[in-house]
Amino acid sequence: MNTLSTQSIPNWLNKVPQVTLGFWIIKIMSTTVGETGADYLAVNAGLGKAATGSAMAALLAIALFAQLRSRRYVPWIYWLTVVLVSVVGTQITDVLTDGLGVSLYLSTTVFAAGLAGIFALWYQSERTLSIQTIFTRRRELFYWAAVLCTFALGTAAGDLATEALGLGFQLGVIVFGVLIALTVLAFYWRANTVLTFWIAYILTRPLGAALGDLLSQAKTYGGLGLGAMLTSVIFLVVIIGLVAIAQRNANQAAMTATAR
Amino acid sequence: MKSLKLTRPLTAAMFALVALGAGYVAPASVGMISSAQAATQSNLGDLTPFRAIAVDVASIVDKGDLVGAKKRIKDLELSWDAAEAGLKPRAAADWHVVDKAIDRALDALRASTPNAATSKQSLTDLIKTIDQVSGKN
Repeated sequence: MNTLSTQSIPNWLNKVPQVTLGFWIIKIMSTTVGETGADYLAVNAGLGKAATGSAMAALLAIALFAQLRSRRYVPWIYWLTVVLVSVVGTQITDVLTDGLGVSLYLSTTVFAAGLAGIFALWYQSERTLSIQTIFTRRRELFYWAAVLCTFALGTAAGDLATEALGLGFQLGVIVFGVLIALTVLAFYWRANTVLTFWIAYILTRPLGAALGDLLSQAKTYGGLGLGAMLTSVIFLVVIIGLVAIAQRNANQAAMTATAR
Repeated sequence: MKSLKLTRPLTAAMFALVALGAGYVAPASVGMISSAQAATQSNLGDLTPFRAIAVDVASIVDKGDLVGAKKRIKDLELSWDAAEAGLKPRAAADWHVVDKAIDRALDALRASTPNAATSKQSLTDLIKTIDQVSGKN
């Protein structure tokens, strides 16, 4: 995947990463880490959902601020922001469902409509939804608003599949995996690039959750029995490794670009 | 617009992932389908480990040790929470009934001035709820 990103034009002005295999691996795994991390703080550490929620929202605000302030794509800031968006997006859905008793049918519909609305405004203002040219503040804000909405939507849709259809994590891995594979096929059959990207972006949320459950759940429930802690540590190590590689590549690209 | 760098490795990885998932899950999901009839009668499966903790907490409350009970019920909260992804898809409605009952017991024991009678009642209700849900099959 290094060769893939170096082959491409060194568009280091774009403030979001190239969509490589590494991108999707980090994206899927960050979902699990984000969720188990927040869960750990809320339940195991006994901070409670409200305190954890506010703390995560505050951290997200800081990370997003750093991301907006940076002049180019800085992998660790970008991915830290994604993990925190993942946590907060999940928490928004949880608060609506568990706290306020909003039905999952309603929240799924509202988030889907919200996402469509963000894309409509984005397109109206920029005449493109390209994720290759995120180099203005406004485009970046559209990008992150869309990302937050996909995580909330992915959580609500995934929970709805569990509640209404009784879709467990075992079938979930297959169902969401097949849907993503179909999206990838559509991409190769010249379907709209931006559309397929965002569909995959939504679907990787429930896939990441199902995959995390498959590893962490006890064998009695059909999981591999690694536990939430070990699963998160494994995923976190992979994420840190991939982000470190991306960070090194980004630094090199920046150096070459300034040397020119 | 330039095409994204979603190249062959991604496709390969996605298919590998699905294939792996299918290989691992297929036998289990066949089992799930064949037990679907049983599941319509609403069956969360074996809840005895959770019931055992609830009974234990109730006995600690009976001894008048509300602090100890508060400490012990955390085990129930943690194990119930950890099993959510495994249990909930089996019978979501039943899962919510038990979940709410556990929440009420947690609230009672974690009140700023916990009341022994209220705590005891919430635990009795919780055990009754678990038994009702388990007895449906």
